[in-house]
Amino acid sequence: MGYDETFDVLVIGAGHAGCEAAASAARLGVSTALVTLNLDLVGQMSCNPAIGGIAKGHIVREIDALGGIMGRVIDRTGIQFRLLNRSRGPAVQSPRAQADRSLYRSEMRRVLEGLSGLYLRQGKVVDLIVRENKVRGVVLEDGREFSAKAVIVATGTFLNGLIHTGKRTYSAGRAGEPASIELAESFKKLGFPVGRLKTGTPPRLDGRTIDWSAFEPQPGDVTPVPFSFSTDILSQRQIQCHIGYTTQSVHECIRRNLSESPLYSGKIRGIGPRYCPSIEDKVVKFAEKERHQLFLEPEGHDTNEVYLNGFSTSLPAELQQELVHMIPGLDEAQIIRPGYAIEYDFVDPRELGPDLQTSRVSGLFHAGQINGTTGYEEAACQGLIAGINAALHVQGRTAFRVTRNESYIGVLVEDLIKQGVDEPYRIFTSRAENRLSLRYDNADERLSEKGRRLGLVGDVDWDRYNARQHRLNRLRSALDEISLKRADVRYAAVAAVLNCELGDKVTLAQLAKRPGVTSELIKSLLPEDLQREMGETDLSTALADSLYAGYKNSYQASIDRLFHHDGLRIPKRMSFGGISGLSNEIVERLERAKPMTFGEARRIPGLTPAALSALLVYLAANQHAA
Amino acid sequence: MSTIVALSTPPGSGALSVVRLSGTNALKILKRLTSTLDFTPRTATLTKLHHPDSNDLIDEVIVTFFEAPHSLTGEDVVEISCHGSPSVVRQVIDASRNLGATLAGPGEFSLRALSNGKMNLAQAEAIRDLIAARTETAAKQAARQATGELSKRLAEFKTRLLDVIVVLESAVEFVEDDLPPTQTNQIKEWLLFVLSGVGALAESYQSGHLLRDGIQVAITGKPNVGKSSLFNSLMERDRAIVTAVPGTTRDTLSETIDVGGIPVVLTDTAGLRQTTDDVESLGIERAYRALNEADVVLLVVDGSVNADWHEAGLNSFDHKTQVVVNKIDLVQYGHSDLPQGILVSAKTGEGLDDLRAAILGAFRGSAIQADGLLVTNARHHEHLQQAKIEIKEALVALDEHRSEEMILAPLHNALRYLGEITGETTTEAILSQIFATFCIGK
Repeated sequence: MGYDETFDVLVIGAGHAGCEAAASAARLGVSTALVTLNLDLVGQMSCNPAIGGIAKGHIVREIDALGGIMGRVIDRTGIQFRLLNRSRGPAVQSPRAQADRSLYRSEMRRVLEGLSGLYLRQGKVVDLIVRENKVRGVVLEDGREFSAKAVIVATGTFLNGLIHTGKRTYSAGRAGEPASIELAESFKKLGFPVGRLKTGTPPRLDGRTIDWSAFEPQPGDVTPVPFSFSTDILSQRQIQCHIGYTTQSVHECIRRNLSESPLYSGKIRGIGPRYCPSIEDKVVKFAEKERHQLFLEPEGHDTNEVYLNGFSTSLPAELQQELVHMIPGLDEAQIIRPGYAIEYDFVDPRELGPDLQTSRVSGLFHAGQINGTTGYEEAACQGLIAGINAALHVQGRTAFRVTRNESYIGVLVEDLIKQGVDEPYRIFTSRAENRLSLRYDNADERLSEKGRRLGLVGDVDWDRYNARQHRLNRLRSALDEISLKRADVRYAAVAAVLNCELGDKVTLAQLAKRPGVTSELIKSLLPEDLQREMGETDLSTALADSLYAGYKNSYQASIDRLFHHDGLRIPKRMSFGGISGLSNEIVERLERAKPMTFGEARRIPGLTPAALSALLVYLAANQHAA
Repeated sequence: MSTIVALSTPPGSGALSVVRLSGTNALKILKRLTSTLDFTPRTATLTKLHHPDSNDLIDEVIVTFFEAPHSLTGEDVVEISCHGSPSVVRQVIDASRNLGATLAGPGEFSLRALSNGKMNLAQAEAIRDLIAARTETAAKQAARQATGELSKRLAEFKTRLLDVIVVLESAVEFVEDDLPPTQTNQIKEWLLFVLSGVGALAESYQSGHLLRDGIQVAITGKPNVGKSSLFNSLMERDRAIVTAVPGTTRDTLSETIDVGGIPVVLTDTAGLRQTTDDVESLGIERAYRALNEADVVLLVVDGSVNADWHEAGLNSFDHKTQVVVNKIDLVQYGHSDLPQGILVSAKTGEGLDDLRAAILGAFRGSAIQADGLLVTNARHHEHLQQAKIEIKEALVALDEHRSEEMILAPLHNALRYLGEITGETTTEAILSQIFATFCIGK
């Protein structure tokens, strides 16, 4: 068959998953096509113009440490940076930034266009070409056919997208863009289990019509923390966001008009995210709450558009305008784009292996919302994993994976492919059992060597990483070796400041663990050459390690005590039906999830303790026999 | 599912032995063994068992058929009560195996019951205890755990622990949401409540394990002070051989008796003395071992002779030693001259009630009464202890005003330990509670 063009890897969709996938595949040296409906909307932020946040910021750091691009792009286009949870411990701190939406798009496109071996193509993919359970390429709406040895599907909300505002519904992938109906059909034809999810977005306002004095300003950090380990300086002028509140009369008006909402009239069947509820949901489920918080987030330097975060709604457009006017300070505010809810198809992620390749069709990878996730960061990291693995697949190299013990990306991927999703999946720090080790500041230590081995971390970044490692090692030994003794001049001073007994001798690492000891104090106790040499973040990284050391040990002890069977391997061709005492339902769940270890089986939802003991006894017995 | 077979009464000779079959072919095998065509479920039927090949009679038995899922394991179960002879039992089991049943592994009946949702892990372990229960009180205790009472009692504390976790997790994860400020005092109060509850259950193990394993009581003393007579009178029957010849008891002899509902494992030991007799010295060696392992040592002295019992060389057992002055029926003069101790006469039975009360002292010392719920399983005790340590750790972190993740780390550990008894709490469950408690999300 004659193809119009031939590639190694082809990515469908140029959102956050698609961009990251295309960039990583191309950088691993395979010819890569990025096919999108509209080349002017590469890297579009469909929802709020922000990246990062608790756990999400961790993921962006991990993407960066592995050699991905999201961190660099947001650092160049971010207009307000804040490190969240600054008052809390380092493990739960995370960077967040408002982006200039349009700058982010153009910068993302510039980065992609700078990569050799990456080809941008505009067009609408309407079908996958699959023969003998292998993907061969795609068919475009205009009749072109592209050949590819691996295809990554990163279609976001476009698969069978259906927008709701009030009682009106129309087919769309995003407001103003067509849905992918034909492609959605081809997944069903291939036999993939397809479900329906829902998400929503709030109205965008004309900033000139807002009474800003009625809102509380929310400035960015004085010393902003960038996302990428490579970023030294943030170049964009920084802006403020603003915080306001809804009122009781707004809530009453919404409750009066609930029948207008497709969420409550039963029109929407898809399941929405509980942590990103619409304003309708908020006033119904938390009726006792007197006000709900709103954030006014400017969309960029060169636009008046303001994102009304916290007011996601699918009520009719004219009612949205009426409600906005009832909010103090928005009496005159005009809606530029109304909010809406969108329903879309997703494919059960339990169809995927840890490389995000489908088990049904060889060479076919899924990344982003098609897997039931929500969020740009969640999408981007899947794009990275899928892009890497698509390239490795083409090159005939071993698949790449990261574990849940070393990264949030590993947590996310394992949760998806083992547990599936009931609602749009978002990352939280509490999903990571090993939370205290997975910090934003040590993502490089956790992952950069892996990225380098793959070939994704370039020489400049690798040198910087090694230099930092060198400094960190010196710093760590200094903290362990330098101690204050009672006879020391500085001992008395420190004891006086802390107003407590320090014992005869205390190392700096031990001292740093005490409540109330600041990093400035520790820094002042280090040798001067070390103080001069170390970077801003080096000391906090080294101190965080010793702060959490004890907690990590007791976590490990509890795991060893309780879950010492987790490492038990489950044979590849295991027939779960053959285990005495497992119900059909449990066997089905196990066969679907294909756990490779007992630990993975333990985390499959719906597996009763009884079933687990039966599995354990079986595995233990068979291992014994082997 | 395969059909398993095993003897479910203790091995050895007795009036009756029960062989149990469980699995899809249980009834089919029974029919082949009995040539009876129909068995009404849950009805005892008198019938004859024959070898399926030779048709030789094995035994006349009573069989009961339990139809799935209304059985112990949730599968078809057949119980065969045969005569309690090892040879009959072997024939019944062999015949069943010839018809396709496999010999059950240890705990496999319980495992099947577990798998079929007939019980949870805590219940299964309690049933194992029930089978091994030595007295009625211990049996009652095992039965209470079998009905899930331990899980139920823990649920209250686990729920509160979860409340704390939900509040702290929300503060960490949803810093941008308009959440009510964390009430440190409330958190502390809740954690103290969990700590005391888990702690009390953990401490009940002290009593619980005595109740399950019995109080180990060793009787010792110089030769011929009447240890074996005392042993027999506490047993209320003649078990040990009693003669006037010193050194008659050459080996240790153990029996379990019921003292006020508590199992007491009574061990008669060889009298402690220097001897050249090989057998007797072996017995003395065993006696020392029994003394080391005992919860209570009864040091018997002869009240009728003016003996200096310190010479017995028993000082190392002092902290658990109870002196028993025997043969007071032979004492001619006033009791005031006797050594300090419980005055008994093994011969007349005088003072035996005082002695029983003293033995139970080891048990009554614990704050928990025997009618309260006791933790009897060592694994449960270990998990409760660990949970306690973790909660204390969290309270320290709370007092030091540590960031939430450092308070949460030990609390998640504690939850994992409790989860091993009651069933795991998934992240999804925690998140669900967060979203149900707080209005989260922009």
